[in-house]
Amino acid sequence: MPDRDPPASTPEPLLSARGIAKRYGAVRALEEASLSVRAGEVVALLGANGSGKSTLGKIITGITRPDAGTLTFDGAPLHLSEPAQARRRGITAVYQELSLVPDLSVAENVWLGHEPVRRGGIDRRTMKGRTAELLASFAGVFSVPVEPDTLVDSLPPSERQLVEVVKALAWRPRLLVLDEATASLDARQVDRLFELVRGWREGGMAVVFVSHRMNEIFRVADRAVVLRNGVTVGERRIGEVDEQELVQLMTGGGAVAAIALEGHDAPGAAAAPPGATEAPVVLELRRFASGVVAPLDLTLRQGELVGVGGLQGQGQSRLLLALFGAVPHQGEVRLEGAPVAFRNPRQALRAGVAYVPGDRNREGLLPVRPILENLQLPNWRRYGTPLRMERARRDAAAVVADLDVRLASLDEPVANLSGGNAQKVVIGKWLSRRPKLLLLDDPTKGVDVNAKAELYRLLARLQAQGTTILFHSSDDAELLGLCQRVLVMQDGRVTATLEGDTLDQRHLVAAAMGAQGAGAA
Amino acid sequence: MRPSSAWLRNHTYLVPLVLLVVAVALNYYFQPNFFQPRVLNGNLRVMLPLMVLAAGQALVIIAGGIDLSVGAMVSLVNVLLVTLVTRESGPPEVLLAVGAALLVGAAAGAVNGLCVAYLRLQPIVTTYATSFLFSGVALAVLPRPGGALPRALTTFYRSAPLGVPATAYGIALLLLLWVVLRRTRFVQYLYAVGGNAAAARASGVRVAFTRFLSYVTMGLFAALSAMMLTLSTGSGNSRLGDAMTLPSIVAVVLGGTRLAGGQGGVVGAVIGVAVLTIIRNLITFSNVPTWYQTLFDAVVILLALAGPGIVQLIRGRRA
Repeated sequence: MPDRDPPASTPEPLLSARGIAKRYGAVRALEEASLSVRAGEVVALLGANGSGKSTLGKIITGITRPDAGTLTFDGAPLHLSEPAQARRRGITAVYQELSLVPDLSVAENVWLGHEPVRRGGIDRRTMKGRTAELLASFAGVFSVPVEPDTLVDSLPPSERQLVEVVKALAWRPRLLVLDEATASLDARQVDRLFELVRGWREGGMAVVFVSHRMNEIFRVADRAVVLRNGVTVGERRIGEVDEQELVQLMTGGGAVAAIALEGHDAPGAAAAPPGATEAPVVLELRRFASGVVAPLDLTLRQGELVGVGGLQGQGQSRLLLALFGAVPHQGEVRLEGAPVAFRNPRQALRAGVAYVPGDRNREGLLPVRPILENLQLPNWRRYGTPLRMERARRDAAAVVADLDVRLASLDEPVANLSGGNAQKVVIGKWLSRRPKLLLLDDPTKGVDVNAKAELYRLLARLQAQGTTILFHSSDDAELLGLCQRVLVMQDGRVTATLEGDTLDQRHLVAAAMGAQGAGAA
Repeated sequence: MRPSSAWLRNHTYLVPLVLLVVAVALNYYFQPNFFQPRVLNGNLRVMLPLMVLAAGQALVIIAGGIDLSVGAMVSLVNVLLVTLVTRESGPPEVLLAVGAALLVGAAAGAVNGLCVAYLRLQPIVTTYATSFLFSGVALAVLPRPGGALPRALTTFYRSAPLGVPATAYGIALLLLLWVVLRRTRFVQYLYAVGGNAAAARASGVRVAFTRFLSYVTMGLFAALSAMMLTLSTGSGNSRLGDAMTLPSIVAVVLGGTRLAGGQGGVVGAVIGVAVLTIIRNLITFSNVPTWYQTLFDAVVILLALAGPGIVQLIRGRRA
């Protein structure tokens, strides 16, 4: 590309990563990623879901080892096998998922693993003194008092995030990775953090800034590096680029949507039941809120397949869990017109709401138990006492045949199945119940292409039977290919509802990143 | 994918069955009269109370818990029985005592269940603590060993209707009970809760209630075990069951039930008790101090706990 940074006129980069590749099983997270940061520079790392930006961040900080590619730091090759090594070399990260121990004080957390030592013991006075100095840089923006002795457990999320920043600074890093570090901060705290980032830049620190908020990137970064499908597709000086061009780079022109569904008879918008708008209302939410999920209104009609998108971890899972009664919620819920307030999943199930979790091994399956028992777990009530096992087995065999689950026997532990087949079992257990409302939390994560296609067919069939589906996916192509309507969430808020003309990759990414003029229909 | 390993996993009692054959062969070698009815009966009489107790323990462990108070529960029910029944008691008193025993067993189990399932306390610590509570009550009920049962009852326990020892009928009834229980929703949910509590909850299983019931059921099995034991000894002692707690867990482990929950069964536990009892016989024959029995119990449990970790460690080295 002609408008790339001319590297010749600038000093040697502090960190450079070239040709980085990383696979997780069959999934290719990174293929040909490169990134360079100079001392005294803030580089924004951008990309849609699945572009590999988190993986690249993890490789730089030594959490993950690359399969191929070279890393150099300060002119010497860099081989990292664990985060502690990276920290010793001067590379530290601030992550969104906090790494603080709640039962320790702020100072103890900040110095965990490199406590100042004097005469063979921990030098608490130095520890507290230096913590106080570090905390002083955020003086005035704390929403509660934070002292070196304060227990982390007593701090709200925003203050914990700031302590996390302080903890990273205690290592005196030369390269700091800020991975979605502003997500839980309020406006004043973000302002202060950016002031500090500018100060560190003056002091010669290199900063890699991973963020999903377009405006923040424009406020603080010098340069933006864009990843798409594991490949670095471009880099731009912030002064010479606008939001639209970055979105364009991230989506590659919006031709991605067709790829995942190509060759499969997946239900598109065309598969919508005729006269869908006149179909009876199944779910109605009024000012529904839960935890990070800000109050929202939503109406789902029978047989609709509505997507929930946006970047990962914006409250989509929480929304589904709240609808399923697994976490508390506020606001009004009506199921087929009747007001309901589920206090646990059992009540939701009784009312005809089913849920397919994102992490199948954590909430979906009994790994050591046979497939038969996994499929029938919610359904035993139908088989009387004593349980009519032959009938249960016949019904399970029918479901298995129906879903084309490849298995040796129904008595095989479900842990022996591949990801795609296991996921079919998770959905299969609801199949015979014909739920009114099916909630799916990113069900195709780590599932191969064929299994995905079969899953889409299954959803289409449920839809045709009149099941209403609310479908969260981190795969944008999937949302665009399957859904008639997509809610885009950012920081717990539904920032856009895409349908019709606005239902395309460009609008989806723009809305997810909070870009100006994103299609709010 | 190996179907053979899957099959083995669903028939966890096969490994202990092999162990049992080996143990019986060894015992026969040291004690050629092992298969004589008198010797066999003696062994079965020792085994039956522990088998009933281990069956209950298996249910609790399958559901992901553990109960260290089972021995104390047995003691408690034992002293209760000999207090309510004398050598002269007739059928009404005996039936009353049986009812009271089941009630007290269930109540003791309910205490454990409330603490573990609803107050979410650690099962190990909780049941260790309640074991002192139950022992204390047992000591208050019967400060000094004593008491007796009607002679007809103790004689019946030693009898052999139709040429088969009464205790053998007991074992058959226990296995039959399991076959029936295995086909209830309750036992399905025990496996589900022990296999993955979060998934069970997301599938609409009442996880806390299932855990609670597992401890109540344990209490009922402890009461049954105490009845068998009382028939065997014919008297009461507030410390009678104390030594049964560790063996009840060892038998479950020997029977192929994993301590992490979600797997195993009562058949394995029953076989485990037989293996354990015969190994104790062998230790007696070898003229070594009896504390080797305890050592053996401890080693089995440690191996069961450390086994998966050791396997992973070896695999990790290789990779």
